[in-house]
Parts: sequence; structure tokens; C-alpha cells
Amino acid sequence: MSGLIHLLNNYGLSHEVIIKATFYFIAGLTLLFALFVVLSRNIFHVAVYLAATLVGIACIYLYLDAEFLAVVQVLIYVGAIVTLFIFTIMLTADIDTGSIRGMIRRVSASALVSLALFFILIKVITMTTWKVVLPGNAPISLSELGKSLMLNYALPFEVISLISLAALIGAIVIGKAEKR
Amino acid sequence: MIPQSHFLLLGASLFSIGIFGVLTRRNAIGILMSIELILNAANINLITFDKFSGNPDGLGQIFALFVIAIAAASAVVGLCLVISIYRNSKTILINKINLMKW
Repeated sequence: MSGLIHLLNNYGLSHEVIIKATFYFIAGLTLLFALFVVLSRNIFHVAVYLAATLVGIACIYLYLDAEFLAVVQVLIYVGAIVTLFIFTIMLTADIDTGSIRGMIRRVSASALVSLALFFILIKVITMTTWKVVLPGNAPISLSELGKSLMLNYALPFEVISLISLAALIGAIVIGKAEKR
Repeated sequence: MIPQSHFLLLGASLFSIGIFGVLTRRNAIGILMSIELILNAANINLITFDKFSGNPDGLGQIFALFVIAIAAASAVVGLCLVISIYRNSKTILINKINLMKW
């Protein structure tokens, strides 16, 4: 990777330019896959596109100096949740979702709503003056993250474990086949 | 350096795409997947604000971790409900599930 960057440096591309170009490439690819998630007809393809989108978001986390979050994203989302989705798709029928004719009205109405929301959000983001970045702001290391998770935020951490337990038991109770 | 607003714009676009998916899909699993997109957009915003705010203890990243945990729990319970509904009514298209409609 560094050899590639060195090679590109020789062609007059600075480190900064390469980082920016890869960021916008990854962001565009992520948005493209997210659009496929929403627009694809075959629900199994949707699951695969969702996995690709989540990997792209993990790459975005790397640009935000959140390496641990990127690893967790790939492990939990791509490794566990998408697998769970694919299992559920396999257990239920209806791979192909309905006719296109009944979709048109619903699609136009919801496109209107989501585009309106999108333009409001863009307007708000571009109008706000964000605070200037502090230059010497070091990224949070993994050990600091673990320490604050165990010391300052220990109570929410325990509550999360309770929620996970409740979800586990609830899933077993709901998914259990009834005796006939 | 990539400016903060570009990360926020990415989050806003993902959020809008997720809302569109929730409103258009008829398949219950598709709706759950769009909800995952929305939660990820929220996570991008949280981590962006964590990086650019200069807060030293990484509160945004911890919050994003909690959001991921909650999303996993909600996906598990939601998919179990989908399987249970399929077992009872042999469909997961939400416009055909009308057991509790009068």
C-alpha cells in the first residue's frame, strides 16, 4: 500500500490528494450500494448489497480514526446480522417482492418524502457553521476506549448486556414452534 | 483533510435512502434492512461529531458501540417475529398481514 502511494507520489499526486480521492470513491460506492439495497427486486440480492454497504461504511469509519468501530462493524454487522438476514430469507419464501405496477404510486409518494427530507438535511448541514477542527486532536486508542467503557460508562455497558440477554430470551420464546 | 460536512452529507444521504426503503418495501425483511441503513447513518454522524468535537474521552464512539448492540438486538427480535408471522400466515408481505385488522 505504501509502495503504491510512493509510486503515485512520483507522478505528482500528493498523499493528501490520494486520501481524498479514495474517500470520495468509497463514499460514492457506499451510496451506490445503498441505492441497490433499496431498489433491488430480489430480496436475496438486497442482503448481499447490504453487506457491501456495511463494508463501505466500515471503511468510512477508518477515515474517522475509529479503527475499533470498523472492526466491530465488519464482525457484528457483516458477520452476524447479514448472515441472520440471509438465514431468514432462506426460511421464508417470497424471494421476489411483488409486481412493479402496484409499486409506482407508493414509490413516487415515498420518493417525494425522502427527497424532501434529504434537501432539508443538506440545507441544514451547509448552512451551519461547524466548529474548526483542532489540529492536534489525537485519535482515541483502543485501551482508552476500553477504560472509559469499564469506568465512566460501566452502567450503560451493563444495561446493554441485560438488553442482549432479553433479546436472546425473547427471540427463543417468539421463535419456538408451538406444540400442536 | 476531508471537511466535517462531507461526512455529515454522507450520513444524511444514507438516512434518506433508508427512509425511502422503509416506505417502499413490502417485504418485512427488506424493511428491517432499510432500518439497518438508517442506524448506520446515525452511527456515521456520531463518530464524525466525536472526531471533530475535540472531546478527549471518545464518548461518540462508545455511543456508536451501544447503537450497534441495540441494532443487533432489534434485528434478532425482528427477524424472529418475521419467522413467527411466516409460520402462522405463510407470507411476509406486510400488506397481506391483516390478522389484527378488523
